[in-house]
Amino acid sequence: MPDFALTPEQIGLRDTARKFARTEMLPKAAACDRDGRFPEEIYRKAWELGLMNLNIPPEYGGTGLGLLDQCLIVEELAHACGGMTTTIMANCLALEPVLLGGSPEQRTRVLAPFCASYQLASFCLTEPSGGSDAGALKTRAIKEGDGYRLTGQKCFITNAPQASLYTVFATVDPAQGHRGITAFLVPRSAAGVSIGKEEEKMGQRASSTATVLFEDVHVPAADRIGAEGEGFNLAMRTLDQTRTPIGAMSTGIAQAALEYAAEYATKRQSFGKPIAEHQAIQIKLANMAQDVHAARLLVWHAAWAIDQGSRGTLESSIAKCFASDAAMRVADEAIQVFGGYGYMRDYPVEKLLRDAKLAQIYEGSNEIQRIVIARELLRSLA
Amino acid sequence: MEIVVAVKPVPDAETRLRPAPDGTRLDPAGVKWVLGGYDESAVEQALLLREAGAATAVRAVTVGPAPRGEEVLRSAIALGCDRATWVETPADAALDGIGIARLLGFAIAKVPHDLVLVGKHAGDDESGIVGPALAELLGIPSFPAVVDLRPEAAARGFRFQEALDGGTVRVEAAPPLLVALQQAWNDPRTAKLPNILKSRKATIDRVAWNEASAAVGPTPGGLARPTRFRLPPPRTGARMIPYKTPEEAATALVRALRDEAKVFP
Amino acid sequence: MTRPVWVVVERTGDRPVDAVGEAIGLGRSMGASVRALDVGPASATVDAALAAAGASGIVRIPPPPGTPLTGAVWAVGCLAALPPEPAIVLVPSTVRGRELAGRLAAGWDAAVATGVVEAGAPDDGTVHVSRPIFGGRATEELDLTGPRAVVAIRPHAFPANGTPTHPETTEVPWPSGTAVPAARLGPFEPAASAQGPDLADASIVVAGGRGVRSAENFRLIEELAAAFGAAVGASRAVTDAGWRPTAYQVGQTGKSVTPQLYVAVGISGAIQHLVGMMSSRVIVAINSDAAAPIFKVADYGVVGDLFALVPALTAEVRRARSGPGA
Repeated sequence: MPDFALTPEQIGLRDTARKFARTEMLPKAAACDRDGRFPEEIYRKAWELGLMNLNIPPEYGGTGLGLLDQCLIVEELAHACGGMTTTIMANCLALEPVLLGGSPEQRTRVLAPFCASYQLASFCLTEPSGGSDAGALKTRAIKEGDGYRLTGQKCFITNAPQASLYTVFATVDPAQGHRGITAFLVPRSAAGVSIGKEEEKMGQRASSTATVLFEDVHVPAADRIGAEGEGFNLAMRTLDQTRTPIGAMSTGIAQAALEYAAEYATKRQSFGKPIAEHQAIQIKLANMAQDVHAARLLVWHAAWAIDQGSRGTLESSIAKCFASDAAMRVADEAIQVFGGYGYMRDYPVEKLLRDAKLAQIYEGSNEIQRIVIARELLRSLA
Repeated sequence: MEIVVAVKPVPDAETRLRPAPDGTRLDPAGVKWVLGGYDESAVEQALLLREAGAATAVRAVTVGPAPRGEEVLRSAIALGCDRATWVETPADAALDGIGIARLLGFAIAKVPHDLVLVGKHAGDDESGIVGPALAELLGIPSFPAVVDLRPEAAARGFRFQEALDGGTVRVEAAPPLLVALQQAWNDPRTAKLPNILKSRKATIDRVAWNEASAAVGPTPGGLARPTRFRLPPPRTGARMIPYKTPEEAATALVRALRDEAKVFP
Repeated sequence: MTRPVWVVVERTGDRPVDAVGEAIGLGRSMGASVRALDVGPASATVDAALAAAGASGIVRIPPPPGTPLTGAVWAVGCLAALPPEPAIVLVPSTVRGRELAGRLAAGWDAAVATGVVEAGAPDDGTVHVSRPIFGGRATEELDLTGPRAVVAIRPHAFPANGTPTHPETTEVPWPSGTAVPAARLGPFEPAASAQGPDLADASIVVAGGRGVRSAENFRLIEELAAAFGAAVGASRAVTDAGWRPTAYQVGQTGKSVTPQLYVAVGISGAIQHLVGMMSSRVIVAINSDAAAPIFKVADYGVVGDLFALVPALTAEVRRARSGPGA
């Protein structure tokens, strides 16, 4: 049986993340949400402390943590602000394909600079006409000379305006469907790369999201990750890695909502006593606590399984799907516990609902997660 | 010049304060032990002095039981201390501040200690006596409540201010000396993740309890023994202050704050 | 049979600090003979004050002229005069006094406690004390066992109820062969009253609410805070009205504070404010409405017109803080 106790090392990592989250991120979270501001000073500090690039191994200068350790950190950061957490984690997403499928030369050339100085990267899979149906992407990579000419559009890309590097999935042969998809590295400085206007989002507004346009961008062959046609597989294996930390992010948001609601319930009085003494509120808090605990344990189990070497598709899908749905339930109930005050922007809980919503949509929508779960389940019974 | 920082594991700021079952001290169950606020400043100040070239090495030293004695030293190493010494005490050792100062003195006398830095007081008992007692035992001067500690090239020593009650005194002093630090000239740094991982593998020098306790001997002079840990009574509503003139109200209130509540001045 | 009590004199200028008289009073209440131990040059003013406070003897140890009076030097002087026989030494628990207590306890080999607010010497030969810990959120009681004890008493925690005496002054020569410390002390520079402390870690906070009625009137709160040496806070009503910036706001959507003393002026005590300051050790509320919820959580309440009460309080606080030996 696994030992659920955290090692002193893990406690140290978690506490550093918690301290950073409470002292640096939390004080600015509400203002960044209100103004849609990208707090670069916070992201730089996160990079300095080693909180960015958690998945990059030490030989390239990264922190090189296992998935459970990453999830401990992510939950703490998300407790303070989901949008800032998404920005901080986005490098892991963008650079994972290089870790999984890049050549040794690519790994050194690409990963080390991210650890040597503050830079952001973006993972570019989603297109205006295709999100869940990633296999039908339209961005085209046409062979040209010793490289490729890339044309297409990627939308809803995290860090797009600030990134120095894009990991782009394009097809070399539409007729082959997902077997034509290939992964490429495109620097911001490449001719033909342009960024659309920044999106106004419902939540996670400290994170920056925009469209990236590729117009006849020349990509040398050395910047192709893995072989032609390997891209879809690389994308799926990448998402296998990042799904669980999204579950950790949702858990952090849910934990914050639970704490705010419980604390408020002990202070707010109605009908002559704190509302925490009314059964209706107690039942809400109990349901919220169950959701948070269950989400956390599913995340820990998935992370542990992947750290043990398992691909962890079923576990991580369940963790991401459950935790993100749970965070929505918990945030919603937290608003309800606060009553009228919960509806006001001045109070912290309505932001949690708006931040939590995105996790049900991105990194593989929860509809797709359910299909994956069903498929894994049925496959195991066959 | 080598700096020694003496640190103490204290309960973290969010600990629920509750008496232990025997009622004599804080209930240790569930307490999270951390490097306290003034100790963090002391470590930060030591590291700043090393980075400014005024010192070559920083050693963190503590006296305390397992595991928290070791953990607080690993926190200090993760922040950047070069070395660490642990005098591990048995969990049931009845040690007061002077006893701890004696054990620290035993450990510190063995290593270079041109500057000994301590926090102004510990975050739990806030007694502020271990630093001065340690200085007396080491035979070096001590300075309390120091701010703005800077190297002073001319005297090959230090310049700083003592933040006394109601004012300050500027001081220049040469090593060896002990400084009880109120505030470092920067905000204390946070340990970077890679350093936290490295600190787990760092070697900590050990001073054996048997050797240390035999060397310092028993304490015939006396012992401060805790007998009771009390929490304040719960709030029952304000005591309203009656008055005829505003001046009367003011006098009565100030007297109550000074003599009853003892929060003022 | 009570042990003899020594009271170490801490001077401010040419007179003893208030706590010296309070320590003499405490020693006498223990039924002991109390001698004052004064490391410093001869001073008729100091002698007169010690006599008025009730010291039954004065032992003076004048340091060589020009010796910087560091804590180490102070301890050398005291240790030269303190015999090793069982005794209790009382010192003021000021910054310097506390430091001396630590050095004395180590050099004289004694049990020690600082910041003491209650003390007694029951017949069993121990000294029993209590002192605040954890920022005043708890109290510990200690037995100081053994023949020698050093107790640093918190200023104003004990009454100075000495009956005047005619003490004899004896001089003890400075111990020969003691090294002069390589330290230079500048003069004492009193703190300028200007900037108050930071709201986050202030030990006293004075906060104003809607009751002050205007941005200009908020000046009364700031004057009271300056008198206390406190940080300034405000309720949300004040910051919403733009009378002061949001950085001043204490409450659910502003800052949480945990000072020793929180003075709430013209603040009704809505829950959103209370959650920001309820952990303060002592809460004082001044409000014109006797039914204001703040009075349920305050320790002391004054009902009345803040425009009359606050200036009076400011004057009284200034008086109390600048009194002799503060």
